[in-house]
Amino acid sequence: MKQLMLTAVLATALHITPAVVLVKRPDAVQALLPGADVYLAREVHLSNLDAHRLHQVVDWSPEDGVLTLYTGKAGATAVGALEFVRVDTPHGPIEVAVGFTPQGTVRGVIVTKATVEMKPWVLEAVAAGLTNHYRELKPGEAPGGAAALAGHTGNLAEYIAGEVDKGVARALAAYGTFYRSAKT
Amino acid sequence: MPYDLRRADARIKWLVTCLLATLGLSYLFGAVMVALYAGFTPGRVAATYAGPEMTMQMPPETTMVVTHPMSMTDFARPETHAVDTDLLIQDTHVHVPMYGVIAAALSLVVLGLSLPRAWALGLITLLFAAPWLDFAGMWLTKFASPHFAIVTLVGGWAMGAGYTVVAALAVKQMWFSQVKERS
Repeated sequence: MKQLMLTAVLATALHITPAVVLVKRPDAVQALLPGADVYLAREVHLSNLDAHRLHQVVDWSPEDGVLTLYTGKAGATAVGALEFVRVDTPHGPIEVAVGFTPQGTVRGVIVTKATVEMKPWVLEAVAAGLTNHYRELKPGEAPGGAAALAGHTGNLAEYIAGEVDKGVARALAAYGTFYRSAKT
Repeated sequence: MPYDLRRADARIKWLVTCLLATLGLSYLFGAVMVALYAGFTPGRVAATYAGPEMTMQMPPETTMVVTHPMSMTDFARPETHAVDTDLLIQDTHVHVPMYGVIAAALSLVVLGLSLPRAWALGLITLLFAAPWLDFAGMWLTKFASPHFAIVTLVGGWAMGAGYTVVAALAVKQMWFSQVKERS
């Protein structure tokens, strides 16, 4: 009986809770590409070599080896670019939207998805100003959201800030390597 | 057989009623969760479990870029909740033991019902077969053919049907049947 109870408790503890949408994708697009009325999806199908290169930099490979970057224009004027990056954690996945200005710096970061379990941690981290710490980062720079929140929030909000840092680092690496360099 | 829910003490009848109500509530929310994450049609179930693994392509020799226009409607399109092999292993590990416990609990209720032997055997078989079909369908959809999504749907509906039949019979026999007292 003891073993049965232990198994049930372990099974519950290991069970990943369902994903919830924190910010709908269209709302994230409008916030991170403000004023854009024309959008383009740029799907970068990575070769083994490039996928390996990216993996070495940020310890990550995109799903199915395809990076998708979205660009927005207002008429003929470029508004910027946007990526949705998924970060798998032991508590389930989170999705981070990272927007870039036409000059190539981070315009903003929005956590668009989390799991039911992680949602309060994300909300606490965002309320503590997490996403403000990513503004104007450039490819090659390291995001420091978790370090900025250290001591100002609970441990779980700080933990989730570290996961958001990973998402931003991946977006910066992908944007710097496969968008900006290809564009210029 | 001495175990007869019609003649059971009111406390036992209440226990069984509470158990059935609790399981009913969990089944109801289970159905809502299925609607949210997998759907009730073979197509949606196949998309959830077969996923991109069925159509995975080899990476190109050199990195390629494909561009296409997007509209706001494209961004709003709901994404398919895909269950990959790792998640299916975890789901099977977590759900199947619990389904076994639920089937066993409902089977114990069946044993206390006044039913022909064959009906009771059939119901117990249905209660255990339903989760087997449910998960067999998921695995077959992933590794054999998306057409096996129908097996998962049959399993899911069988689970709901098994619970409904047991709950209806139990409530009727426990609370609404006149039992002749033995002399």
